[in-house]
Amino acid sequence: MAVPCHLLKVCGNIVFAAQGSDIHSFSSELEHISTWRYPVKQGAESTTPAAEVQESPAPEEPPAKRRKVGGGQEPTSNGGAAAPTDGQVKSRKAAQYDNPANERPFVQGLYATADGRHVVAITGSDKTIWVFEHDGAGKLKELSQRAMPKRPCSLAFTADNRTILSANKFGDVHALPLLPSPTTTTTSATTSSSPNPTTGLPLSRSATPSTPTATAFKPQANELTVHTKRNLKALENQKRSLSRKAFEDQQQQQQQQAPPPFEHALLLGHVSMLTAICVGTATVAVPAVAAQASEPGTSIGNGTGNGAEAASAPARTTVRREYIITADRDEHIRVSRGMPQAHVIEGFCLGHEEFVSQLCMAPGGREELLISGGGDDDLFIWDWVNGRLLGRSGVLEHVKRVAGEDVDKVAVTRVFGCGWQGTTAVFVVVERVPALFHYELLDDSRLQHRETIPLRGNPLDVDIIESPSGGQRLLVAMDPSASVSIEEGSSSLVVLDKQETGWKQTNVENLPACEDANISADELQKILYSTESLRKLTDFD
Amino acid sequence: MGRAKKDRRQKREDYRAALREDDVTELPRKKFYRQRAHANPFSDHRLIYPPHPDQMDWSSLYPDYVVDEPQQDQQTPAPETPSDRELTPARPKRISKDVEVADIGCGFGGLLVALAPLMPETLILGLEIRVSVTQFVEDRIKALRRQNEAAGLYRNVGVLRANTMKFLPNFFRKGQLAKVFICFPDPHFKARKHKQRIVSTTLNSEYAYVLRPGGIVYTITDVPDLHEWMVQHFEAHPSFERVPEDEQEADPCVPIMRTETEEGKKVERHKGQKHVALFRRLEDPAW
Repeated sequence: MAVPCHLLKVCGNIVFAAQGSDIHSFSSELEHISTWRYPVKQGAESTTPAAEVQESPAPEEPPAKRRKVGGGQEPTSNGGAAAPTDGQVKSRKAAQYDNPANERPFVQGLYATADGRHVVAITGSDKTIWVFEHDGAGKLKELSQRAMPKRPCSLAFTADNRTILSANKFGDVHALPLLPSPTTTTTSATTSSSPNPTTGLPLSRSATPSTPTATAFKPQANELTVHTKRNLKALENQKRSLSRKAFEDQQQQQQQQAPPPFEHALLLGHVSMLTAICVGTATVAVPAVAAQASEPGTSIGNGTGNGAEAASAPARTTVRREYIITADRDEHIRVSRGMPQAHVIEGFCLGHEEFVSQLCMAPGGREELLISGGGDDDLFIWDWVNGRLLGRSGVLEHVKRVAGEDVDKVAVTRVFGCGWQGTTAVFVVVERVPALFHYELLDDSRLQHRETIPLRGNPLDVDIIESPSGGQRLLVAMDPSASVSIEEGSSSLVVLDKQETGWKQTNVENLPACEDANISADELQKILYSTESLRKLTDFD
Repeated sequence: MGRAKKDRRQKREDYRAALREDDVTELPRKKFYRQRAHANPFSDHRLIYPPHPDQMDWSSLYPDYVVDEPQQDQQTPAPETPSDRELTPARPKRISKDVEVADIGCGFGGLLVALAPLMPETLILGLEIRVSVTQFVEDRIKALRRQNEAAGLYRNVGVLRANTMKFLPNFFRKGQLAKVFICFPDPHFKARKHKQRIVSTTLNSEYAYVLRPGGIVYTITDVPDLHEWMVQHFEAHPSFERVPEDEQEADPCVPIMRTETEEGKKVERHKGQKHVALFRRLEDPAW
């Protein structure tokens, strides 16, 4: 099964494109420069399935998730001690096909720091965050790989580009240094249960602060907390079987849940699946006294004045503040303070009635505006500092013109803002709709639909590049298997040039071969089109 | 078995329907409202909640506080574009004051009913995730209002079915609440269920958001480990400090919380221990 390019990131004049578990880089003329391939252990393909599962993929990765195999035979993921039976021989091919150890996780997120010197990627099933050094010419050097306890779904960088904020499926946001310092790795592991000095918060939500680790197992319930006859009896039994074995189990469990051996701090969390995170900055006018109390160096303008000035006049000064904005599956957009006060919730942007999947800070110096999209029929435009909804702009009505009138819902998968030919443009991708929607952000904060650009496949991601001649070009990653016509040859990377008659679509032909050949079409669909599945199906109380 | 179940359900429905007749003043009986004690806070229940606190219709919960205001729709010109109309959704009827006390996981409503006469000028809201239990409290409040029609009691309490772990900010604005009660929460004994506990580092930020500075979180439990857990997590949170014991014992809500909650009574019967801890919401630090 051919895997298309599904993620794009333009970094200066270099294009990075993720295809399956590989990351390619291209020049601005879209000549292939190099490829980073997900490391797979040598010889893993040639060994028997039983041996494969015994091998752990990498020392710091958690064991891969067990998945059901098509043939009904489940590979034993813990040990593989079962003797080869006829059934196993028969399903050997299937097992190899779906074997978690054999599978290379897809790149699920591709990011670059503002200075373009580092590229960061998330890979899906192994929950790993990869940091690469970018030499500015398209070559990536792997600096670190950090396997998170829960699957990250979106990343952002703090304004100083030194910290990664990772939002995960469990609802938590962790802060990780972009470049892990080797000295802190050992200390952070031991201090994990004590409150973190920088945030004041314990590192893990479920870890009880300052619990001694070596206490013997003791049932938390007692005769006074359970009342029914059966529960009392169960408690009695539990106490009786309080033996060495129980103690060992407990210890083993604690070892399994040990935090990963690198510095990461829990900043905030939702009781929901996080879908997007971004960092916003705002210049806020504050009374001078308050500005002085805040961190030195953050205030600009007349904030550097001395105390006498502040005391004499009702002086107001401006402070540049950083915020963390998080969106979840339960319609919330939360605005929290930036580090180190991320535990303070400043407000919410409420109004969505379906999941939120995309957040986009308005480009072009309009950072007081936030555009959000998800399962609702519209995009929402927010004055996010004040949690005020400024406007909505329809998506479904334009999707209907492409996909037919009977379409009744949309799932926005990408909201990409950029400066475009002198205007502030927002390009929107909707899941399984073969078109790109172009909106313009007007001066009065309205978001106006400009045009719908029909495509030959379902777009997966979009970015812009400067063409060598100086103009701007749109770059679209798409799924060519859904192509409308194939006679022109299909490619999963397409360049769009605005011409007077319309859009000229040029395939990028020289894509390197992808090695992710052994993935079924169904599985690929599930990975590429995962947004609509966020919608709630409430058929129970 | 199946037949018995059906009969029971039929009986329940008949009972509840009869109770809903206008002139009934009898208090509801718990046996027709029992529901299993646990609900998964992570699943998508069929919940009703406003997208924004401004769109919450409080008028049905506190009908005596509804403000009679002239319908403005006729006077203001109709919005011109469809998008303008969407921006200003139909405003619910206003009530004269905001809810300031919330009982998270109110259960069968013992605390609500006891608090109502103690603070007659304050609107108190119970939040409960289980449908039948919420229904019970609703019927209980209705009956109590009818019984005390002349005195005008229990006009200031209401109950809602909600998952507060997810949707607290949909109901309350920033700093709206003065008191939050968390009474005898589900202990979730197993370590792997600890993330379902109603008190956690990250959830405490949401309690801090809905509470005004100086507001109090009241916690009580009969499980020593859970008490320890709640104390540790609130004390570790920079937005909260523990209220000293002398001040705690002077608070008139504390004895009510000890004796009037349904769980409190049950623990009393079984001669269990009750652990109380109060936490004050601090001012946000300057930044």
